Amino acid sequence: MAAGTNTPDAPPMKPEEVLRLIAAQRGTAICVPTMTTSPEWRAIAPDDLSVGCVGFMGGASSLGLGLALARPDRRVLVLDGDGSLLMQLGSLATVAGAAPRNLVHFLFKNGVYHTSGAQGIPGGLTVDFVTMAKGAGYRAVLAIHDIEDFKRRLPELLKMDGPVFAELHTGLAQQTPMTARGGVPFPEQVTKLRAKLLRPRVAS
Amino acid sequence: MPESIPAPLIIDTLKDTFREARKELAAEVAEPPQHSHLGWILSVPDTHQKTVLAALDKEEQIRVLTCATEDEAATIAGGLYIGGEPVVLMIQHAGLYASVNTLRGVAMDGHIPTFYMIGLLSREKDKAPRESRHSMVRYCEPLLDTFGIPHATLEGPDDVHYIPEYYRLSRQRKGPAVVLVGLETI
Repeated sequence: MAAGTNTPDAPPMKPEEVLRLIAAQRGTAICVPTMTTSPEWRAIAPDDLSVGCVGFMGGASSLGLGLALARPDRRVLVLDGDGSLLMQLGSLATVAGAAPRNLVHFLFKNGVYHTSGAQGIPGGLTVDFVTMAKGAGYRAVLAIHDIEDFKRRLPELLKMDGPVFAELHTGLAQQTPMTARGGVPFPEQVTKLRAKLLRPRVAS
Repeated sequence: MPESIPAPLIIDTLKDTFREARKELAAEVAEPPQHSHLGWILSVPDTHQKTVLAALDKEEQIRVLTCATEDEAATIAGGLYIGGEPVVLMIQHAGLYASVNTLRGVAMDGHIPTFYMIGLLSREKDKAPRESRHSMVRYCEPLLDTFGIPHATLEGPDDVHYIPEYYRLSRQRKGPAVVLVGLETI
């Protein structure tokens, strides 16, 4: 099956549209984009409540888990990719074991390593991440194939007890970190988000 | 000759380290996280430090999260740091080798203070780690040197002061700092 043709009767969701819907409803949630969700996310949500996982592929779920454990008063939304998650698949068990109620793990599933040239991921679109997340012990798991369904379910996903795992069947993003370079460097993102969360005292 | 360190001594030192870290954060920021625990141990179980890990199971003031890989542990530590939580990673040398890219990407390039306690499993009592006949022991200090990561070795109970010192050092240099555990803890 080609990338993005997840079901015969449902065109894949556009990742940009999915991200815009999340941005509109996230409230004060901390967001952790990675790889192909990064360029669009920084255009949609150029704030200091996000920290991107670039340069350590596969780490988005773990970075999100650390944030969720540190700040149980806030929602944490991980905007992961299928190729990325495969690099640290064990993180599903670690997240589930830690059981943060405030973590929502969105998986943008397109079946390829888009950033490096759209080579197929091992197993392609047949890899069932929903079953894996369920088996690992996530509190709620689901797959969403079309944008209308996503619109219906998103408000509940952002409120329910986590860890929640949502496999989103998407096509390819218009940009990747290779075609849209730039953005705030990772250490600056770290500093800004930490300042936003902890509010450093200003020296008098 | 190096000596093994009792687990209670290490745990008491960790508690003091976490207390100091929370006190310093409270002085620096207006909204430090409010938790009942002192800090976090992120562990990929290490044979060398197993008595410490066993004793930590009974501790209520320190939260322990067992991770599937050292990559995860280092990245979760980054998230906890951003959120204001004190963290110590407890892994073994093989896990350091397995997670070098994350160490580089998160702790070094991300300028994230990250303090590791790394067990030198199979280190011989009568040899310096660099002279070990086991490659996993022998390469540890040279690897840390290659990356410019400061490190000290716990060679006995008198050396536990390195734990708060290198924890502080990781904060000061905004990057990784390592204490190697020379002999198996008791």
